[in-house]
Amino acid sequence: MTIVWLFILFISISLGCTESPPESTIRIGLSIAPTNLDPRMATDAPSARVNRLLYSTLVDFAENATPLPALARWEAVTPTQYRFHLLEPRPTFPNGDRITAKDVQETYRSVQDPKTASPHRGIYQNIQHIEVLSESTLDFFLLHPDSLFPSYLVIGILPANLIKIAHPFHEDPVGSGPFTFHQRPDDTRLILKRRKDAQLVEFIRVSDPTVRSLKLLAGEIHLLQNDLPPELVAYLAESPSISLQHKQGSKFTYLGFNHLDPVVGQNLIRKAIAHAINREQIIRFVLGGRARPAHALFPPNHWLGSSQLEGYAYDPPQAKALLDQAGFSGNRSPVLIYKTSTDSFRLRLATILQEQLQQVGITVSIHSHDWGTFYGDIKAGHFQMYSLSWVGLKTPDIFRQAFHSHSVPPQGVNRGQYTDPVTDDLIEQAEGASQNQTQQQIYASLQQRLLETLPYIPLWYEDNVALATTAIRGYTLRTDGNFDGLVDVQWTQSPSTQPQLTKETRSGL
Amino acid sequence: MQHFILKRLMSALVGVLGVISLVFFLIHMIPGDPVDVMLGETALAADREALRQGLGLHLPLHEQWWNYLSSLAQADLGHSIFSGRPIVELLLERIPATLHLSLTALGVAILIGVPLGLLAATRQHSIYDYGSMGFALFGMSIPNFWMGPLLILIGALWLEWFPVSGREGWNAVILPALTLGTAMAAILARMVRSSLLEILDEDFLRTAHAKGLSPFQAILTHAFPNALLPVLTLVGLQLGGLLGGAVITETVFAWPGLGLLMIEAIQQRDYQVVQAAVLCISITYIFVNLFTDLLYAWLDPRIDWQDPS
Amino acid sequence: MIRLWLPLGVIMMWGVMAIVSYVLPLSPNAIDLTQILNGPNKHVWLGFDELGRSIADRLITGASTSFFVALSVVGLGILMGGIVGISSGYFSGWVDQLFVRIVDIMLAFPGLLLAIALAGALGPGIENVILALVIVGWVGYARLARGQVLALKHTDHIVAAQAIGASSWRIMGWHLLPLIMAPLIIEASFGIASAIIAEAGLSFLGLGVQPPQASWGSMIRDGTRYMLVAPHLVIIPGLTLMAVVLAANLLGDWLRDWLDVKESTKRPS
Repeated sequence: MTIVWLFILFISISLGCTESPPESTIRIGLSIAPTNLDPRMATDAPSARVNRLLYSTLVDFAENATPLPALARWEAVTPTQYRFHLLEPRPTFPNGDRITAKDVQETYRSVQDPKTASPHRGIYQNIQHIEVLSESTLDFFLLHPDSLFPSYLVIGILPANLIKIAHPFHEDPVGSGPFTFHQRPDDTRLILKRRKDAQLVEFIRVSDPTVRSLKLLAGEIHLLQNDLPPELVAYLAESPSISLQHKQGSKFTYLGFNHLDPVVGQNLIRKAIAHAINREQIIRFVLGGRARPAHALFPPNHWLGSSQLEGYAYDPPQAKALLDQAGFSGNRSPVLIYKTSTDSFRLRLATILQEQLQQVGITVSIHSHDWGTFYGDIKAGHFQMYSLSWVGLKTPDIFRQAFHSHSVPPQGVNRGQYTDPVTDDLIEQAEGASQNQTQQQIYASLQQRLLETLPYIPLWYEDNVALATTAIRGYTLRTDGNFDGLVDVQWTQSPSTQPQLTKETRSGL
Repeated sequence: MQHFILKRLMSALVGVLGVISLVFFLIHMIPGDPVDVMLGETALAADREALRQGLGLHLPLHEQWWNYLSSLAQADLGHSIFSGRPIVELLLERIPATLHLSLTALGVAILIGVPLGLLAATRQHSIYDYGSMGFALFGMSIPNFWMGPLLILIGALWLEWFPVSGREGWNAVILPALTLGTAMAAILARMVRSSLLEILDEDFLRTAHAKGLSPFQAILTHAFPNALLPVLTLVGLQLGGLLGGAVITETVFAWPGLGLLMIEAIQQRDYQVVQAAVLCISITYIFVNLFTDLLYAWLDPRIDWQDPS
Repeated sequence: MIRLWLPLGVIMMWGVMAIVSYVLPLSPNAIDLTQILNGPNKHVWLGFDELGRSIADRLITGASTSFFVALSVVGLGILMGGIVGISSGYFSGWVDQLFVRIVDIMLAFPGLLLAIALAGALGPGIENVILALVIVGWVGYARLARGQVLALKHTDHIVAAQAIGASSWRIMGWHLLPLIMAPLIIEASFGIASAIIAEAGLSFLGLGVQPPQASWGSMIRDGTRYMLVAPHLVIIPGLTLMAVVLAANLLGDWLRDWLDVKESTKRPS
């Protein structure tokens, strides 16, 4: 037996020595880890959120999503020439060099370079060339006028000298953001260092929401943001050592349809579905009241958002009447396949929608697939109905991407092959409009048109929720769910970093 | 002896080849495309095509398979499609975690299972026997995905003895190892008991008795070493399975092992990583079994070297 | 005797639950969002789940899911494993060689990948869970059958049958099969236990039954999410699952001892 003990001791010592960062590290639990720290290559939301901390960008967004100067202010010299002036003091790279117009030029050039194979290359095809005028001024020359051009310049700026030698930014990020890359012990953990005070911040991937909550309760992580069932949020918020913040968000959840399908391809059926869904009840009971019903891609507080849109009210008799009109009366009822991922929340939602649609006589069969299969099917158009969310939508180019008849994959994300000449026309008009005012008007009528023809059934915008332990102080939430609040968050030096477990927490289970 | 080992090695290699080929075709047959997962939907069609060509995904499947095998033969596992990191690096991050967890779980299983089995066998039909076999059945009947969260709740939140999840600190391994080890301990205890009981009837025990050894001594010195053989096979099989990654336990405890790597890679359609993970898992499984067989042969003089069946 | 009647009672209850679930006026899929996560009350004595559905009703319909899966998986597994194992053991030669290779590969292959692949290729659902579990599970029965046949092949009984010119099929079906049924049945009773857990595990990973169908595994999966808030969601199906698995294991044990006794009285050494 002693041998066994020694054996266990040996392996525990030899293998168990994963070094842990100091106690005062601020730890954030994530459901999905950031995978790619090269801003030219990253396409997923967690990577994009972390890259914002590591790199600085030319342009940022106000809460209503209008573009704001970040690294630079800009002016349109001509409709096809934009001049950017880097603002002083210019941020520095970790080696002390100030960011220059050359760095900006090289970054966007390398995104445009087919050899980089950046997934964002398409957005910048309109750039004809980039000219550096001085250390802090540069001009972007465009092929076609685009009044929204500055709002696309959100790629993190990389140092020009490292781009030249093909530095592996995805492994060893070098930027001029408020944080620097510190360590990546394995691909579930990522440690960043804040430049102003060397505070360490660690992102830990914990996929299970219950385990994530338990870790917060036990003080092993200090901050959780979103991706939690509302019941858990309410439960955690009861603990005296955890504080809750929430804020209206822009994460847009919708039902998507295949417009080539003989059943859901009919506008009447989609309208019937829209009337059959009781969004108020779902928001109240399943989303914990922390969501706003949606009628369009952009929420009303977005600069393109419209508060004028009249959504589809919960009205089962109306839904049935529409089904009748579509020829589904008596014992003939539409049967739909609803695809979703295996995520518990999505399944829960799917089950409710299934039941609500059943009430008006639409039979739904749910098919849940692992993410790779699900996403592949959606992309390939192998679906009748699905639900997904758009995260971080800010610029109106999404209208062309998602609803223009030329944007069928792989040209865009019009996955359901929605074709409507009126929509196409409105999109083109809006893009061509030079006046901000007229543009806004056209986008409003476009959104009205989309609400009538229902390429998507808009469901709701989820609020952002952050739960923080008393070990940290001063974290503020953003509408878009980014982690910008980490720039100011403070580690409290108080000795009671271990949260007190209350009677309530103990009584669970 | 050498001939025997060589023969077993050859069949092990055939096994590995079979497994990786099967994985290769399976993963390429599932819907979903790594290029899509990697580039998102906003990328240009030309870039998509370029990436597909760069990864060799445009070739006919059998050619891709051949290319894969030939790069394997040159010990080149390739890069993760998704993160761009060398796969060897990824594996080297994960293997220690998997070894750490599975060996500790094995230790837990041996520590609980063997004494229980011994106790049950030496006191057959006593309260000890029923007690330990009852426990064993209990252990076999609790699913991991139920026990894991329960253990976290008790061990980490109520008692505050262990961290909830992750792999930091020496005691982080205890809860996942207990989750994995209990079921194994249960099976082990039953095996120890039944193989001991089989031997207890045999003549040499009577001889031992005649030599004046107490029943307990006799069991420990004579019966136990003999009973070890089937137990050893079982441990080998179980360890092979454990090293293959305990997907559910690793998911629950956010343990950064091979099983979790495989699941994530499947979700992202990171073909190369899935293949490498499965390769790793199957090689360990096959070689742990080979090693057990050899040990078995070495321990049991009755086994004929010429004909291992 | 309690070793027999207790587990048998549990298994029978399981079977009865599975059958009556089709007859009883249950509403396992009736959603009432106002009742979400509420505890037991007078009418709904096991409480409500995360969608306000009755846990008791779902538990009973879940029994029929697991019953159906366990029986099909074990039945098909024995059928396939038995046929392959007996022929491989009886014919030897290249058939046997091929079989040993396939078994090696199957054992070293991660079953989860197979389940995902099948779900991806054929669509998710209970039928494909069964298929995946059979593909993984038949190997065990085949190995057992092969081992038994190898041991019995040269006994007088079989050699005599061969001598009077019985066909291979007849020998395998009439002479070998009855002799190896006992160990296969014992294995099957343990197989029931592991099939229940495997179905639950796949449903736990979201690859099993599709909503709104109830399965104990999917109930536990959803329950763990609300473990801190509403523990009855995970405890009730967890205990039920454990009781049935325990009973199946106990029954297997009893069966083994019983057949063992029969064997040894029949053939005094």
